[in-house]
Amino acid sequence: MQGTGRGSGEPIVRLQDVIKSYELGSVEVQALRGVSLDIEPGEFTVIAGPSGSGKTTLLNLIGCVDVATRGTVRVAGKDTGALAERELTELRLHALGFIFQSFNLVSVLDAFQNVEFPLLLQGGLSKTDRKRRVDELLDRVGLAQYGHHRPNELSGGQRQRVAIARALVTNPRIVLADEPTANLDSATGHAIIDLMKELNTTQGTTFIFSTHDPKVMNQAGRLVELVDGRIASVRQTGVDTGAPADPHAAASAAV
Amino acid sequence: MFWTLVRIALRNLLAHKLKSFIVGGILVFGTMLVLLGAALLGSIEASMAESITGSVSGHLQIASSKGKDPLVLFPGPLDGNEVGVIEDFPKVRAALEAMPEVQAVLPQGFDYAMIFAANLIDRKLARMRKLHGAGDLEAYRPVRDHVRRIVELLDRDIQRIRRVIDLDKDDGGRRGAQDVHQAAQPEFWADFEGHFSERMEFLENKVAQMAIGEDILFIRYMGTDVERFRQAFGRYELVRGDEIPAGQRGIMLNTLYHEEMLKQKTARRLDKMKDKIAEGARFESDDELREWRRMNIAQYKDVSWQLDNAAADRVVAKLRPLLGAADVPEAVSPTDAADPIRPIDAMLRVFLNMDDATFAERYDFFYATIAPELQLYRVDVGDTLTIRGMSQGGYMSSVNVKVYGTFRFEGLDKSALGGMVNLMDIVSYRDLYGYVTAEQKAEIAALEKRSGVQEIAAENAEDALFGEDADLAADASATGFDEFADVDMSKGARRWSEKLGDVVYTQAQIDGGVVRNAAVVLRDRNQLEAAKAAIERVAERDGLAIKVMDWKQAAGMLGNFVSVIYAVLLVAILGVFGVALLIINNSMVLSTIERTREIGTMRAIGAARRFVLWMFLVESMVLGVVFGAVGVGLGAGIVGWLGHVGIPAPNDTMVFLFGGPRMYPWLSPMHVGFALGLVVIVTIVSTIYPALLATRVTPLEAMQDKDA
Repeated sequence: MQGTGRGSGEPIVRLQDVIKSYELGSVEVQALRGVSLDIEPGEFTVIAGPSGSGKTTLLNLIGCVDVATRGTVRVAGKDTGALAERELTELRLHALGFIFQSFNLVSVLDAFQNVEFPLLLQGGLSKTDRKRRVDELLDRVGLAQYGHHRPNELSGGQRQRVAIARALVTNPRIVLADEPTANLDSATGHAIIDLMKELNTTQGTTFIFSTHDPKVMNQAGRLVELVDGRIASVRQTGVDTGAPADPHAAASAAV
Repeated sequence: MFWTLVRIALRNLLAHKLKSFIVGGILVFGTMLVLLGAALLGSIEASMAESITGSVSGHLQIASSKGKDPLVLFPGPLDGNEVGVIEDFPKVRAALEAMPEVQAVLPQGFDYAMIFAANLIDRKLARMRKLHGAGDLEAYRPVRDHVRRIVELLDRDIQRIRRVIDLDKDDGGRRGAQDVHQAAQPEFWADFEGHFSERMEFLENKVAQMAIGEDILFIRYMGTDVERFRQAFGRYELVRGDEIPAGQRGIMLNTLYHEEMLKQKTARRLDKMKDKIAEGARFESDDELREWRRMNIAQYKDVSWQLDNAAADRVVAKLRPLLGAADVPEAVSPTDAADPIRPIDAMLRVFLNMDDATFAERYDFFYATIAPELQLYRVDVGDTLTIRGMSQGGYMSSVNVKVYGTFRFEGLDKSALGGMVNLMDIVSYRDLYGYVTAEQKAEIAALEKRSGVQEIAAENAEDALFGEDADLAADASATGFDEFADVDMSKGARRWSEKLGDVVYTQAQIDGGVVRNAAVVLRDRNQLEAAKAAIERVAERDGLAIKVMDWKQAAGMLGNFVSVIYAVLLVAILGVFGVALLIINNSMVLSTIERTREIGTMRAIGAARRFVLWMFLVESMVLGVVFGAVGVGLGAGIVGWLGHVGIPAPNDTMVFLFGGPRMYPWLSPMHVGFALGLVVIVTIVSTIYPALLATRVTPLEAMQDKDA
């Protein structure tokens, strides 16, 4: 992470001729067939495409949970192909935040503890500092009152907001979200996207998420369309750095 | 971080309550078993150590290092007897007793021997002779009638036995039976006094021996330095009579042996019945009580044939009001040969048929009225016993020793192992065992020299034998056999032995003779291993030619007993924990599979593999600690309760192992630590495989959407 400050000019994510193939029995399936993509810090990038187009694979490579078969993937200034398992874990812990389609909260921990969890893994913060940080995040996603609720006591939207708080609590450079709205109704989904956009605007965090929901795509600052493992188009929508598209998004805490 | 792990673990356990409780239940049971077992065995081992070390073996035993067989104090049928002889016991004793660890070193020797106690006929005949000689015919006649009656009963018994067993095959048996039959005829008793000497001799030499079953007994004894023994062995306790005077010959009978083997059988059974009833047993529900009652009734003659007519009349007079309305057959004349049942016989049978309501009254009556008419013990304090043993050389040897008193080992008086060993002075032991002391050897040599016995070379044998025979004879009479000079040989060897009983032996004589093994009593029994090593070093240094055993080795099979229970307990514990291991392992594997997604998520957001490994290990540690603590708590409660009420020893062997009639188990911190440690180790071991499985879960697992 060091030496890759925001002002360095290097893209925070750089993919060059990335090919990813899987063995499915004796058949080799190519999920990505040569993808090159740069993402600048602070961008709000949506990766769109039909099922099986390679969205998830692309996110997994950027998220350092998988490595490319060929080509290079640089995340926060590091070549993930050259890193050991332990270093990849460190990178995920300190530079990345994850938001999952199915929220993936730890079911036996309450909202507060779920958000606190990455901080505990990082270590270093005192108990009071941790509490302040977690409370701040819960407040920001509008769940200040829900800290002691277990995941099964929360609605889908609330859970996803806990997940967002958890992804952001470590102040990561990049937040990855794999179809974060897929398991939510459209109104809630919108509110979640608005929340992420707001955080993108206020914190300058780089957001990269995948979706195949056209309504969500419209919210993107930059839209990357994948088809059959290749980038079909890249569109700048021009909303990625300015004020939130919907000035009322900040009120989405009511979801 | 650790507390997060504990929190996750607790939450996980609570989230799967049923599973946790099943696994927990097994762990609780296992821990309890370990704790109970460890506490009970620890207590048994300690109590048994107390029993054995305090009564028989001391803490350590030493024996010759050159012995062929290992020393075994409680020998089984396969244990050999050739343990050798300690070369120089006084030197060994001096060297060891100089050590700070050692309190006392006591010479010992264990053996079995036979006791010959005069039987009833012998004693009555002796009394007849005495009264007849004194001319007290008034007192003489009832005794004579009693003897006649005993002979008649004996004859009837023998005739009855002859119908079942063919005694005639054996010449001696047939002749003996004929003799008794002859003595039972009225002609034999007609004008008895007219042929007094001849008839008495017939009775003494031919008839008395036919009642033989009565008068041979086996006795197990320990020859030792009795005076120092009772000082060094804390459990020794004088019960009746006196201690053997310092340095003299004598025997102390163990209370249990005295009661069990030497007491009149009816009285002994009544004692046992009393104990059992005191413990709450009742006739209608207790087979043993009924059996003892049955035997008492069937063997009423054990009582009645000791009663001569006068005594019988006295007892009958008091029995009649006691039994009151009970259906007692009227008197039958004792001379009615067809059915010679005296009233005493019939009444005794009714009397001995006791029940819960009448037992206490009749027990007291027995001791107040009947017992004074009986000889309660065949050998009692003050008697002189003839003990006959098989010596080392294989010939019979015998010594007469006085019974000075009875003793017991505190708490062990009901245990056959601790209660059957009698104490004898070591000098008599050596005589019985056929050992000759160095001093005696020297004395014999001196005697031989003085009496002119010398090695005779073959060439001058003739001269030696015939040429100087006059001188030889003169020598023999001149030097004499001093030891026998003042012994009246006509009174026989018995008198000689009694005289030996007054000899006071010096400590040097006691220690100086042959010693097969010796007990070492330590000052601190907890330092047993250290003391053993120290003694071995001293033995090595001084060239003592001894080997050292702890009491457990020396106790032989008995010492192995604890090891055997340990093995059984170990198997049980292994079984329970084996099952626990499988079940925990299985449920953790399932849990890993169930939690794949969660683990993947943790990995994705930055949890290292080590974290996942610890998550599982901590979970099972929590499981082990929590349920282990519950198990320890329950187990400690049970041990505490048992320690309060005590566990009654189910039988006499157990009395010895329990160190008394009840054992009060206790718990040491070591037991708790052991149980808790074991359960935690078991849970951790059972989690290693599932935990390793869990570390192999990749963060990719989190990304795969379950709906996709």
